[in-house]
Amino acid sequence: MKRIANRQYLWIGAIFVVLALVPLFIDNNYYITILNQMVINMIVVFGLNFITGLTGQMNLGTAGIYAIGAYTSALLSKNFGISPWLTMMAAICAGFLLGRGLGYPSLKMKGVYLSLTTLAFTEIVRIFATNLIDITGGTQGINDIPRFAVGPVMLDTNTKYFYFILVVAVLVCLLSIRIVYSKWGREFRAVRDNADAIESLGLDIKKIKIRAFTLAAMYGTLGGALYAHFNSYITSLSFTTDLSINYVIILMVGGIGSILGNMVGAVVVTLLPELLRFLGDYYQITYCILVLISALFLPNGLVSIYGKITGLLNKGSSAEGGE
Amino acid sequence: MLKINNIDAYYGKVQVLHNVSLEVGSNEIISLIGANGAGKSTLMKTVMGLIKPRKGSIEFQGEDITKIKNTKIVSRGIVYVPEGREVFPEMSVRDNLEMGAYCRNYSAKEMNDHLEQMYAIFPKLGERQKQLAGSLSGGEQQMLAICRGLMSDPKLIMFDEPSLGLAPVIVEEMFKVIVRINQERKIPVLLVEQNAYMALSISNRCYVMANGMIKLSGASEELLQVSDVKKTYLGG
Repeated sequence: MKRIANRQYLWIGAIFVVLALVPLFIDNNYYITILNQMVINMIVVFGLNFITGLTGQMNLGTAGIYAIGAYTSALLSKNFGISPWLTMMAAICAGFLLGRGLGYPSLKMKGVYLSLTTLAFTEIVRIFATNLIDITGGTQGINDIPRFAVGPVMLDTNTKYFYFILVVAVLVCLLSIRIVYSKWGREFRAVRDNADAIESLGLDIKKIKIRAFTLAAMYGTLGGALYAHFNSYITSLSFTTDLSINYVIILMVGGIGSILGNMVGAVVVTLLPELLRFLGDYYQITYCILVLISALFLPNGLVSIYGKITGLLNKGSSAEGGE
Repeated sequence: MLKINNIDAYYGKVQVLHNVSLEVGSNEIISLIGANGAGKSTLMKTVMGLIKPRKGSIEFQGEDITKIKNTKIVSRGIVYVPEGREVFPEMSVRDNLEMGAYCRNYSAKEMNDHLEQMYAIFPKLGERQKQLAGSLSGGEQQMLAICRGLMSDPKLIMFDEPSLGLAPVIVEEMFKVIVRINQERKIPVLLVEQNAYMALSISNRCYVMANGMIKLSGASEELLQVSDVKKTYLGG
């Protein structure tokens, strides 16, 4: 068990190192933009992993959460001239309040009802963002969202910004690992595993679910805020249900409940549409088919490939040993 | 120790418990027998605060716990081992046991001490501490569920049909362990069983339940002789 965990850390470290090296070889602003989006997706999915991956509660509210993070940070920093450092903190606080506020009524529900409630939440946020034109700019959006400086270094280029969010992602990842292997992480998994047994142990299922949801919301709003300052422009058109589903796909394709899986999923799912662009009109359908295949044959995600291969090898060698 | 006074409990509009009273003294083993649907499990859930009685009261160590939230009951020292081996199948044996202690804030050393105690009771669990609980046999899973209950140092432990679906040899071992827990740890036991003969033979006193009411109660040895009990629950 420990050896598997150690190997997992090795892979996680390796992915971060490779990501950090990529901008040294690529000078194309378009690719750097994709890299930024990839790491932001990673941060959001680390959060979604708590509620959907570990606790097993389907959450389709990610786009709404992400949007609230983006608008909070964008509006506060642009309209009131507050430092983006503080407005990003404000976005995380908004995530905390959201997690508590939305978690309390909605986590009474289970299964498909919870999915629908969270889906409705995403839609409500989007409709508000589209129609409160005075505040959010509606579909026209908000532009000129300020970038900021880390000490003496102004994050004016996308490459510099990329290194900043990469550092944030590493910190967030370490926090996730710490939580997954703590008492909290075990409680989350226990809820997914056997909710009846939890009650007989005197643990409060609802409290555990709300805790997982709040973590997901805080990660999600942080991701949204990072996105707003990266893109300098946000519009209500981006925060659709598709976005929520995309995050669930990342979680699924990578490997539910595994931090390494979240990272692999974010890399693959962010890159895949770009790699398939040469297919022109057929890219969407190819993408969908690939996702379906992965769901059918790798229900535990891409991270399970490694275990399957070593499993087959071991089987082969033990069969030989038996002869 | 535990005193249940004249409780009525409902599932929605359906009344399940009718004026039920039951008492568990310190260091006693009390058995509660009865057919399916008699209300045995409901009674346990009511003690645990999962169902609130509409009438009557429940006292534990002289304190009225009728209105206390379920999550607080375990920290008062009442542990319920539910029927059907409710373990966490996707978690390791060790993690399962640690979950049992979450309502207490043990230090790492206390946690280890408790784990060692459990491994002493069931050495198998020690050997398999890193295995997933779902990969254990039925009997082992039941042992795990019992040990998980013991992790929080309960003052009273309630077993809901621990023999359900287990091979006869293992059932016997299970009952021996229950007696051992009672004698070595001085924990009173409330045992709900379908296996009436076994339950009667290890308990001090017994309550017989039918249709949500207590029909009979008394010393287990005497009940073994009562012809009604014999006919209904002991097959002759």
